Amino acid sequence: MSGRDRISASVAVTDGQAVCTACGQVLGSATEPWKAHAHRREIPLAQAGGPAYDTGHEGVVLRHFYCPGCAALLDTETAMAGDPVLDDILAPRA
Amino acid sequence: MDPMTFSIIRHRLFRIVDEAVMTLKHVSGSAITNEGHDLMVSLYRADGTLLMGGVGFLHHLTSAAEACKSIIRRFEGDIHEGDIFLLNDPYTAALHTSDIYLVSPIHHEGRLVAWSACFVHVYDIGAVNPGGFAPQAPDIYTEGFSSPGIRLVAGGEMRQDVLDTILNMVRSPEMVTLDLRSMIACNNVARDRMQSLMTKYGANEVDGACAELVTQSEELFRARLRELPDGQWQSRQYLDVNGVTARVNLTMTKRDDRLIFDFSGSDPQSPYSINCTKWASLGGLFAPLFPLLCYDITWNEGVLRPVEMIAPEGSIVNCTRPAPVSVATVGAIQSVNNAACSTIGKMLGASDKYRNQSTAVWHANHFAIFKFGRNQKGGHSIGILTETFAGAGGARSFADGVEIGGEIPNPISRMANVETVEAAFPVRYLFRRRAPDSGGPGEYRGGTGGELALVPHKAPDGGINYVISGKGSRHPMSEGLAGGYPGAPNSYVWVKAPEDGANAPVTAADGLGAIPGTQERVSWGVFPLMGRDALYVRWNGGGGHGDPIARDPEAVRRDVAAGLVTTQSAGDIYGVALRDGAVDEIETLARRKGIRSARLAPEAAE
Repeated sequence: MSGRDRISASVAVTDGQAVCTACGQVLGSATEPWKAHAHRREIPLAQAGGPAYDTGHEGVVLRHFYCPGCAALLDTETAMAGDPVLDDILAPRA
Repeated sequence: MDPMTFSIIRHRLFRIVDEAVMTLKHVSGSAITNEGHDLMVSLYRADGTLLMGGVGFLHHLTSAAEACKSIIRRFEGDIHEGDIFLLNDPYTAALHTSDIYLVSPIHHEGRLVAWSACFVHVYDIGAVNPGGFAPQAPDIYTEGFSSPGIRLVAGGEMRQDVLDTILNMVRSPEMVTLDLRSMIACNNVARDRMQSLMTKYGANEVDGACAELVTQSEELFRARLRELPDGQWQSRQYLDVNGVTARVNLTMTKRDDRLIFDFSGSDPQSPYSINCTKWASLGGLFAPLFPLLCYDITWNEGVLRPVEMIAPEGSIVNCTRPAPVSVATVGAIQSVNNAACSTIGKMLGASDKYRNQSTAVWHANHFAIFKFGRNQKGGHSIGILTETFAGAGGARSFADGVEIGGEIPNPISRMANVETVEAAFPVRYLFRRRAPDSGGPGEYRGGTGGELALVPHKAPDGGINYVISGKGSRHPMSEGLAGGYPGAPNSYVWVKAPEDGANAPVTAADGLGAIPGTQERVSWGVFPLMGRDALYVRWNGGGGHGDPIARDPEAVRRDVAAGLVTTQSAGDIYGVALRDGAVDEIETLARRKGIRSARLAPEAAE
C-alpha cells in the first residue's frame, strides 16, 4: 500500500486512527469499526429521499452515519430496523 | 514464446469472440438478444477452463466453464469433431433454464484443443409462466425443459429427434429454433476461426500462448491485489417477494494477493424462484470483479485463481435441488453481483491509487417483465420489456453516474426502441423518460433510472398479459458510497381505468399521476393489461457518492432544470435553494447550515 491510507473517500487514516476527511475528527482506531464513533440516525425510507423512496412499506430505514465534529455524512446503509451495522475495517499493517 | 507472436495470438482470440458475437446477433431474431444483448460468447481451453471471456452478461463466463467441464466428464471418450452439446440445468452449471448453453468442442488434426461456449435467453423454455422467468414455479420441475448435457449436433449434423423433443416442450418453437440456430452459427464461426489460427501458428504454439495468457492474467491480478489495502468490507442486499424479505450478506476480505467472498449469514433458500446455485453465485461475484478490478487484464482462469467463495449450502446463494431458480438472474445472482460491486467499490475507495476506479452500485434491480399474448397481426408474441437492460450508472468519486447508463455485469446492454416494441406487441407507450429523483443523491449523484407507461393498443384480445418478477420495490438495492444515498427503488403500478371514462381517450401523460384511474402496486406473478388500463414501471437509479450537501449547487440547479431532480429534493436533500431558476446562494448556505445542525441535534443521535 502506498500513499495516504484511507478507509473510504470520507474516512481517512492518520497515525493509526480513523478520521473524518473533512475535519480530521477522530473516529477510533483504524482497525476497529469506525461507525461506532459516528452519530447514527435511522430515517424511515419514505422520509429519506422524497416521494421516489416512498414504497408504501414500513420497516425499511436509511441509516446515516455523521461525523460528530462537522456533521458530514460519512456513510449510508439501507437496512431493516434491527439488522446489524455493516463494518468496513482495514487490517493492521504488518 | 516471442512477444510478437504472443500478442498476435491474444488479439486473434479477442477478434474470434467478437466475430462470434456478431454472428449470433445476425442470425438471432429476438429483441432480448439483439436489443438487450442478453447473450455471451467465450472461449475455453481443452480442459474447460476459461481462456478468453467475451462480452455480454459476465455472470456466464465462469458458469459456462463449468458447463464445458461437465460435458467433458459426462461424454468422456465420446466427444467428436463437429459435435455441439446443450446444457441448461442450473444444478449442473447454468444460471436458469432459459439461459441455454451451447458448448462446442474445437478439434485440430483430430485432437480436442479448445471449446467455444455461448448462451442466449431463449424465447421460451416451457416453464409454468411464458418467457422463462417463472414467479409461480414452486420448484425446478415447473421451470421448463432442463438438461444436464445432451448432444444436439453430432459430427456437424443436427440431431432432429433431439431438437424436435425440445421444441415440443416450448411456446413459440419457431423462435426457439432461431435462438438455437443462432448459437450453433456462433459456435461454428468460433470453431472455424480457432482452427484457422492453429493451422497458421500450430496447435502447440497457440496452446502455449493460451497457457501464457492465463499465467499473465493471474500475475497481473495478484499484483493489483497487492497494491490494494488489506481489509474487510461488508455489504447486504434485501430481496422482497410477496411480502417476504430475504437477505444476501457478504463479507469480502482481502489479504495480500487473495480475495475471499464470504456469504455466510445469508438467508436460507426461498420458496420463491429468486434462489441461485453455487455456480451462479460464483458468476455473480465475478461479473463486477472482471470490469472493476481487471479492466486491463484478460478475463480468464488466471483471474479466478486468487479468489475464493464461501456460500453456505441450502442458502439463497447456494440452494439445493429442487428449489426453484428461474428468477435467479434478476434475483439472488443480481444481489450477489450488487453486494460484490459494493464491497469492491469500497476497497477501491480505500486506495489512493485506485480511488477513482471505485463506483457506487449500478442498476441493481432488473424487473423482468415478460409480455405475452395475441398480437395485432394475429400471431402470438412473447418478449421482455428490454428497458430492464437500460439501467443506471453508479456515481464515482469524481463524477455523476451515467443517466440510464446500463449495468456493470453487461457492458453492452441496451434497450429496444419504443417503436420496436410497439411493432411486435399490441401496446402503445404513453411515455418513456428519465425518472426524476431516481438517482441516488450525493456529492456526485447516481445516474437516473427511467419510467414508462404502457396501454393496450389494437389488441385483438383487448390487451395482453404479463409475467412480472419484480422484487426491489420495497428496498433500494443500488447502494451508495461514502455518504451517497442508494438509488430510488423500483415501482410497478397497475393503473385501473375509471369505469365512467369509457369514451375518454388515454392521452399522453405527464407522469404516473396524470394517468386516470386507481393505482394498485404489483410485483410478482401474472397480471392483465387490458382495456384502458395502464402499466407503469419505474426502474432504479444508481447509487450516489459522497455527502449530498457537498454537491456543487450549480450542478443541482442544472439537474432541476433538466428534470432529473425535483425542486423539493434540491431543497430537502441537497440543501439548495433556487429562485427564478438560479441558485440563491445566501439561502443555500443557510439551508445547509440548518441541515448540519439537525444532523447533530441530540435527538438525532442514537
